[in-house]
Amino acid sequence: MNKLFSMLLWPAVAVVGAFAFAALALGRGESVNAVWLVTAALCTYFIAYRFYSKYIAERVLKLDDTRETPAVRHNDGMDYVPTNKWVLYGHHFAAIAGAGPLVGPVLAAQMGFLPGTLWILAGVVVAGAVQDFIVLFASVRRDGKSLGEMIKMELGPVPGALALVGVLAIMIIILAVLSLVVVKALTASPWGLFTIAATIPIALLMGIYMRIFRPGRVGEASAIGVVLLLASIIFGRTVAGDPTLGPAFTLTGPQLAWALILYGGIAASLPVWLMLAPRDYLSTFLKIGTVVALAVGIYVVAPKLAMPATTRFIDGSGPVFSGTLFPFLFITIACGAVSGFHSLISSGTTPKMIEKESHMRFIGFGGMLAESFVAIMALTAACVLDPGIYFAMNAPTAAIGSTAANAAQVISSWGFTITPDMINQTAKDIGENTILSRAGGAPTLAVGMAQILAQAVGGKSMEAFWYHFAILFEALFILTAVDAGTRVGRFMIQDMLGHVYRPLGNTELLPANVFGTVLCVGAWGYFLYQGVVDPLGGINTLWQLFGVGNQMLAGIALLLCTSMLVKMKRERYVWVTLVPTAWLLITTLTAGIQKVFHSDPRIGFLALAHKFSDAAAQGTLLAPAKSIEEMQRVAFNNYLDAVVCSVFVLLVVAMCVFAVKICLQALKAAQPTAHEIPALVAPKAVMA
Amino acid sequence: MSEIPDAPAGRLRHGMAALRQACRQIVGIPDYERYLAHMAEHHPGEPVLPREEYFARAIDRKYGSSGPRCC
Repeated sequence: MNKLFSMLLWPAVAVVGAFAFAALALGRGESVNAVWLVTAALCTYFIAYRFYSKYIAERVLKLDDTRETPAVRHNDGMDYVPTNKWVLYGHHFAAIAGAGPLVGPVLAAQMGFLPGTLWILAGVVVAGAVQDFIVLFASVRRDGKSLGEMIKMELGPVPGALALVGVLAIMIIILAVLSLVVVKALTASPWGLFTIAATIPIALLMGIYMRIFRPGRVGEASAIGVVLLLASIIFGRTVAGDPTLGPAFTLTGPQLAWALILYGGIAASLPVWLMLAPRDYLSTFLKIGTVVALAVGIYVVAPKLAMPATTRFIDGSGPVFSGTLFPFLFITIACGAVSGFHSLISSGTTPKMIEKESHMRFIGFGGMLAESFVAIMALTAACVLDPGIYFAMNAPTAAIGSTAANAAQVISSWGFTITPDMINQTAKDIGENTILSRAGGAPTLAVGMAQILAQAVGGKSMEAFWYHFAILFEALFILTAVDAGTRVGRFMIQDMLGHVYRPLGNTELLPANVFGTVLCVGAWGYFLYQGVVDPLGGINTLWQLFGVGNQMLAGIALLLCTSMLVKMKRERYVWVTLVPTAWLLITTLTAGIQKVFHSDPRIGFLALAHKFSDAAAQGTLLAPAKSIEEMQRVAFNNYLDAVVCSVFVLLVVAMCVFAVKICLQALKAAQPTAHEIPALVAPKAVMA
Repeated sequence: MSEIPDAPAGRLRHGMAALRQACRQIVGIPDYERYLAHMAEHHPGEPVLPREEYFARAIDRKYGSSGPRCC
């Protein structure tokens, strides 16, 4: 019966999926319904999960439920806890899904909905889900060890140390770019800034409530927090309209950058129970709730995709980010297709909670499919918008000017007809003064979400509420990430400094802690500030730098997986990790080298640096710099970006050399040489 | 987890408790009841931490030096 059901079900899924893809591909000339896009994605996920992940689980990794997992072996009721498969799936998803899958696809929408969709779907099946799954497997077989430790075990101490440097560099860039997304969303937006600022006292109140008034009552505190958050969104409109409070909450980009830097330094120094933990709970509730609401919203409203399948900007001349489809699409959409950062989660808390080895297929592979689905929905929300509105929100001021009339004229000349009235009306609908040049993904996604959710609940009058709800939802977990990331960065910096001068590595010592925090905040703060004053809008530089770094980390994680398979003597299956590794190395190295050396100043860091330093030497000013000093600073920043990008490229090349060497050694060996901990047979299995 | 009671009201309460526990674990909130159950099962007779102390420690451990979260 079951078998018959399966024989009927899977061909049916395949047919529905094929039909959905056909609708996407053949709908030339008329707009396609977003439901087709989401359906095509879901069918791809189901088929990939049913067949490919089963193949990896049974043939490649040979998952074995009779082996004890670290959670069972070290069960301490705190860190190591065997956890229900479904619950751990939710937990793992909440840990991997952040702002990444929301921002990248929105930026990539400038090339049309089809390139992004195809890369997200192909990337997740071939690379992203495979990476998450196999890294999780490697960690579970090594007592829950972290990625850095595993690289040290399997590839050697030098690659281990190099990987740590790479992880720290990516952390810094990611914190800068996430903060930049918040700055772009809140610049000159008193309503938005008020609601985000209100989360600080709300979190503090929750923290004190859970610690002092009613210890451990997280549910009560969270309920209070959610109510206060919603109240702050509603009250924000009043604040924005107030003659004294409104201007007080209207800040410029550089002011917001300083505010965030200050916030990051203070937040990361407070005790975790006071602000980080309560805000983390709030943001996780909101994250899961909003993702579900958006999925339901898309099916209920069934909006049409206004963006064409492809736009002329696949040639590299796009206003949102510069560079041709290959390789830049593949580093712009990282999370959602494949994200190196996940290898840190898959070797972090999740492996310590796996109950049985067979669960890893659902949690590792399946968890990444869910994140990919978030990316597809973000892409959908951006493509539901009128393309004219999309470009008005995402093109830098340098391209479209700062008035609606000018922007409408420029964007219409690109072939996306729009009137100044439409731009102004959209701003009015969402309760903002302007929507121009709000690059960074969050505001665009928020407008798309507001239009979808308002059609489902509340109508046009609720659009402003939903817009600020969406901004709050994104900013909340970005600020949590800034707080938590600064702490982790501080630990890593202190760990490294401890090798140079021992007292600096002491995390119990206050001056050492302050020094580490200042270094970490200073590092990401520098890149943030540079992004805010960047002539090309900042996102163009930082998001790409992050993309190169993140994909490089994925490349390193997949190199580890490949070496591990070879060392386990499973070389006949090595293509499972070798194919995505090769693709990531090709795209990341091409993108990295182009970002450094490309002759177009819109793409290459060195070309832009030369342009500004040459002009400064001749005494001519280039917009938006207003003095020769500013010109020299732009040049210096671009030299610095070139160095960071080169470090990423060299790191991945070095790692590749080490991995090849290890693989060749392992191929010669007669026995498996992987450093798995010996199989302990679970006592239950012996009894059975 | 205790046995499922027969009476509908009891079953509902049991279901609610299980749901609450699942929500806590998904969000990553420390679960004192689960800790008590763990201590009772694996370390019977040993002293257990009071609720305040358990929460303080669990939160410090989770955010103290744990790995980075995602983008």
